[in-house]
Amino acid sequence: MSRSTRFDTKKVNSELVTLTYGTLVAQMVKDLDTAEDVNKQLERIGYNMGIRLIEDFLSRTGTGRCLDLKDTADKILSAFRLYLGVQPNVVNWSGAGDEFSLILESNPLTELVELPDELKQLKYCNMICGVIRGALEMVQLDVQSWIVQDQLKGDQNTEIRVKFIRRLEDAMPAGED
Amino acid sequence: MAVCAAIVGKDNSPKYFCCINPDEELSYQYKVLSSLDIIEERLNPANKNASESKELFLGHLYSLETCKLYGYVTNTKIKLIIVVNAMNLTLKDNDIRSMFQKIHSEYADMVSNPFYIPGEPITSKLFDSTIKGIITGTV
Amino acid sequence: MDDGTDILFDLLHFEIVNWTDRAHSEEKDKDKKDEDLSNLEYIGFSTGYRLIERLTKEMPRFKDELDTMKFICTDFWSAVYKKQIDNLKTNHNGVYVLQDNNFRFLSKMSNGKQYLEAAPKYVAFTCGIIRGSLSNLNIHCVVKAEVQSLPSCKFHIQIQRT
Repeated sequence: MSRSTRFDTKKVNSELVTLTYGTLVAQMVKDLDTAEDVNKQLERIGYNMGIRLIEDFLSRTGTGRCLDLKDTADKILSAFRLYLGVQPNVVNWSGAGDEFSLILESNPLTELVELPDELKQLKYCNMICGVIRGALEMVQLDVQSWIVQDQLKGDQNTEIRVKFIRRLEDAMPAGED
Repeated sequence: MAVCAAIVGKDNSPKYFCCINPDEELSYQYKVLSSLDIIEERLNPANKNASESKELFLGHLYSLETCKLYGYVTNTKIKLIIVVNAMNLTLKDNDIRSMFQKIHSEYADMVSNPFYIPGEPITSKLFDSTIKGIITGTV
Repeated sequence: MDDGTDILFDLLHFEIVNWTDRAHSEEKDKDKKDEDLSNLEYIGFSTGYRLIERLTKEMPRFKDELDTMKFICTDFWSAVYKKQIDNLKTNHNGVYVLQDNNFRFLSKMSNGKQYLEAAPKYVAFTCGIIRGSLSNLNIHCVVKAEVQSLPSCKFHIQIQRT
């Protein structure tokens, strides 16, 4: 199978994700009544992607069980590197150690986006929060994830907060481990 | 540095105009629009004077007493035009070419914004300030 | 091994197909089904239109329509779909048929009647990508896909002359 092309396929694929996602968001803004509805749909799409993406991540990295939330945070970092080609920082741990923030200095999803003034309620990259929630649910971690700071709204960085809710061991279907 | 840059759409309607001296804007707009015929001629393969080259940069289009006009046409038939003061002898073809390439790249990024509707006039302030930076040589 | 953005794009595409499907899931009649695909096709169109602007940035000018089509079948297809088009046919009068024997979005589907019925959903976005890319290159056309046996797909391009 020939792969010969004048283009850098890795770059094209990353741009393809950015552009396709952008078109989807713009289409949702057109189709749905409120920005809040769009935010929900984007999170849901991310969640569905996350529950599938985790299998790829586990097989690709040969990762075992997370020891604790710090370990989980490290693995989320390598997932960002693997799938989005960016390296966030993990900061702002809560006192109880059950909450942290991912700080992205750059974000390929939003790099080429200028948010119109009337869409200030839109959480453009809410898909990422959904992916984190979906992926972690598949490894028995129930978390909440939301956007705290957003470069599209003039913030210096994009900050995504992750909060641990509970382990899902009890909800495991019988006969599976 | 150049004195003016313009982007003209597929349908030959102006999409963006930037002029270092706002007082001259109208006169430059007129000059830019008159250069479109020359561009069409250069691109028409049936024309004997059509450029053989497949390069996007068309080079020097025409000169007036006060200024020189250069043209560049993307594969998507977007026309970029740069106006340089006739007294300016420091800007070589290669400098102009690289200016065009930078503007083209900014244009492609701007079109990639999902909230921009292709074919609409360009109103982004960020785009405007970047283009000004490019033609004044500060970027 | 493929890099991570490949699977991200596959999953995103899959979810967009589901989203446009779900948006009209209560209304099962034929008209609505067609509308689902037209939304999906439009998302492809808009993506292709923007993508081609970026991809052709540093390329020399195309010689003619056939030159453009060859580019779509080779460099473009390889960059987006990981392989070249296997066969390009034209009647030299505005009709082009692009055949991909192992189309990226169908390659993971098993062969079978129920999968074949679902196939139009997985090719509509790409019809839009082709139409959008060509449209921005000033070739206006209608693109239809034909899937006879998985994972092969034929894209019929009919140029609209003005």
